Amino acid sequence: MKNLSFRVPLLVLLLALGACNGGDQSTSTEISHSVYRHSMDGAPNNLDPARSSNIYANFLVVNLYDTLYRYKYLARPYQLEPNLAENLPEISADGLTYTIRIKPDVYFIDDLAFPESKGRLVSAQDFVYSIKRHFDPQTRAQGAWLWQNRIVGLDDWKANGSDYKQEITGLRALDGRTIQIQLISPYPQLVHTLTQGFSAIVPREAVEYYGRELAIHPVGSGPYRLLSFNTAGAVMVRNSDFRQEPFSLENEGYDPASQSRYGLEHLEGLTPPFMDRIEVEFIGEDAARWNAFIAGELDFVKAPVSQFDQVLESRNPLVLKPELAENFHFQATLESGFVHTDFNMDDPRIGYHPNPETNARNKALRCAISKAFDWEKRNEIFYYGIGQVFPGIIPPVAPEFNPDQDRTSIIRDLKAARELLKSHGWTADKLPDLEIGFTSSVTERQMFEQFRSFMADIGYPRGKIHPLTFASYGDYAQAYLNREVMLMTIGWTMDYPDAENTIQLFYGPNATPGSNTANYNNEEFNRLFRDSSTMLASPARTEMYRKMNQIVIEDCVTISGISRKMILLWNRDIAMLPDRSFLGGHFFRFAGPGKANFKNRQEE
Amino acid sequence: MKTPQALTLSRVFPANAFESDKGRGRVWSKLRRDKAGLLGLVIVTVFLLLSLGVLFGWLGQGWSIADGGRWEPMSVNHWLGTNLLGQDIFQRAVFSTRTAFEIGLAVSLLSTLLGALLGALAGWYNTKLGGNWVDGSILWLMGVLDSIPFYLFVAAVAYALQGWPWAMHVAMIVTFWTTTGRLVRAEVMRIKSRGFVLSSRAIGLPVPVILIRHVLPNTLHILLVQASMAFVAAIKTEVILSFLGLGVQDSVSWGMMLAESTQEVLAGHFNNFLTASFMLFILLLGFNLLADALQDAFDPRQASL
Repeated sequence: MKNLSFRVPLLVLLLALGACNGGDQSTSTEISHSVYRHSMDGAPNNLDPARSSNIYANFLVVNLYDTLYRYKYLARPYQLEPNLAENLPEISADGLTYTIRIKPDVYFIDDLAFPESKGRLVSAQDFVYSIKRHFDPQTRAQGAWLWQNRIVGLDDWKANGSDYKQEITGLRALDGRTIQIQLISPYPQLVHTLTQGFSAIVPREAVEYYGRELAIHPVGSGPYRLLSFNTAGAVMVRNSDFRQEPFSLENEGYDPASQSRYGLEHLEGLTPPFMDRIEVEFIGEDAARWNAFIAGELDFVKAPVSQFDQVLESRNPLVLKPELAENFHFQATLESGFVHTDFNMDDPRIGYHPNPETNARNKALRCAISKAFDWEKRNEIFYYGIGQVFPGIIPPVAPEFNPDQDRTSIIRDLKAARELLKSHGWTADKLPDLEIGFTSSVTERQMFEQFRSFMADIGYPRGKIHPLTFASYGDYAQAYLNREVMLMTIGWTMDYPDAENTIQLFYGPNATPGSNTANYNNEEFNRLFRDSSTMLASPARTEMYRKMNQIVIEDCVTISGISRKMILLWNRDIAMLPDRSFLGGHFFRFAGPGKANFKNRQEE
Repeated sequence: MKTPQALTLSRVFPANAFESDKGRGRVWSKLRRDKAGLLGLVIVTVFLLLSLGVLFGWLGQGWSIADGGRWEPMSVNHWLGTNLLGQDIFQRAVFSTRTAFEIGLAVSLLSTLLGALLGALAGWYNTKLGGNWVDGSILWLMGVLDSIPFYLFVAAVAYALQGWPWAMHVAMIVTFWTTTGRLVRAEVMRIKSRGFVLSSRAIGLPVPVILIRHVLPNTLHILLVQASMAFVAAIKTEVILSFLGLGVQDSVSWGMMLAESTQEVLAGHFNNFLTASFMLFILLLGFNLLADALQDAFDPRQASL
């Protein structure tokens, strides 16, 4: 009896302890699933919207601040969606006047910058002020190019000393909630520019209170507010005052056929942001990022190409390894841009030459080099064979991309290349020395070596192809902007889903130091670009884009191109569809707990 | 016919042990008895022959040809497999021997020469006979260069001069000479009061002649050991700089192979990594063994052993 009397209370105690333990587990589940841990392969340069010039900064800025527009979360191709704006803009018949109303009762977060530290109402004047900042030299803003020579009076405002008291005819707040923008000439891409972090709305009080420290002390009205930020990562917590806008799958462009596997349905009707906390880690090193993800320290990773063998069961169709598929969702997505190798047309050894005969020979040489380039092998070696090679300068992600376009320019043809060289008198001893510019990273050096081996196949002597290396991308960019690089490989990420953004890379007046790094200048191309730049999206405009694309291909100005495919993996406990493209960081607000965890939370 | 003065000088004030046939014989005899040293000599000789083979175009000439598949395993066609581009790892490793010797020789010779000259000048002018500003200036320069963390300094110089094929060589020479310089300076300070030097001065020989003909030859034991150590350091530094992308420009080296292998190892391919590491390890081992043996052989304190 004595023994029994001792054992019963012990059993009760053990059961009680077990129950306590169970209670702890449910608490930790709730905590862990209200946090989303994101990884980035680079760090933001600045959290001041006017200076947030890299994609990593843009990712955070659109969560900390409001932009007037964003893209629909799930719709592909991308579709514009009002964010802080109430509706899509009212556009005048001549396409020159845009009227935008912002939503009522939207407040900036509480911050020391405001009287009594209480966030105030966001107004149309704040938008006007935020755009003006880009044209104030003191801001050292980096986004002015989006609106330069576009808005009536804005450039003059800058020329007259950037006095904020001075009104601008083309950029006005008609009342507390109405913005009016008047354009110098039609600018169909204007609304796209208002989705970007550069256009995010900043309160003047914060700029004046924090000065340069606004770079690390954001004060916005976005779905999250910043808790901490350093070179290793950022932590954002839910903005509890964020406007109540129930999540609608239909409105966000949900496609059940392709998206039901991501388990988003249970979030229908709930109010974003769904997560209490977003932890973003900036991990530049592929191996470290991947290992952290596999160890369960991160919820999301962009798989490094070197890991594709370990990640994919098959490439065609793309299938994830079963052991990974058990725990992770995956998506293979094309980048919103492309990689291309441009000839410097300003270099008489390979580009334009005053002598028409030499000019023709140079063109033949460029075309021969293009024909000798093996896109299939480049894709296979460096992009695991899953990148999408396409002819010309309109990448597949652009709505104007033509999937039926003639692919001759991207098919290797050594015979034709050799014939071109021969027919234009190019022999091994007469071929010019080629200098290929790149930053000295392992991959770029390997790409150079591969290029040299491609050229060896048409008899281009190895000793005539030289590397021109640069210690940093900044040095490299400086060199090609100074027209000092003969051949340069460049990756371009589109700012908005409109092929105008890539076509302008070859527009004559944009020659370096502008974005036309090839210094290409073709009258017919320029005329078509000018004519199309004021047109709204239409079949006629698409036709003009495609014609420009063909001109660039025929002039052999660039060896182009490939859009890389990204393999995105994320924890099955998180219900979301991540995006590294035009939507970018806007998807954070829609990242929610997976259905199983969501149920747990509801039951608890 | 020798002059009476010269006869007198060499007989009355013999230079150090290495100067005489007897001394040289003793050094060689000690070296021959040092088995580890001999092994080092054999290794270095083998690598030297490999690099000469590359130099004369007999070996490793296909290092840049990408005729294989990606990451092929070892085979008859590719003895050590291929890298990402399908290039033959064996050929690249062999060609890298030339890169290593080219850099090692250039850097060790020039840095030792620079160290010897500046060290000798500093040591010579350390007394009241000349002017102390020469010694002071050279010491100050050494101090400044030595105060900067070595790899940081080399990387900074290489970074600043990037694009120039000799950037890495210059970066290393600029930093390597100081150790040799300090040792030579101390040795010159010691031997400048020896009789044969005093006699040279007494007969009115100009300072450059004394330094070159009588003083520097007596520091040869230091220079040989320092040169061999600089050789090793140059190869190691090249590997590090190439790994960081600041090394060789239009060639291949073990450092570049190791840099390439960082991605390959992640994907489970180790041939590049193991080959470059092995070659580097063996050559450095050989040089270290040889340098140790040379040091022992020249060390007068071990003369009786």
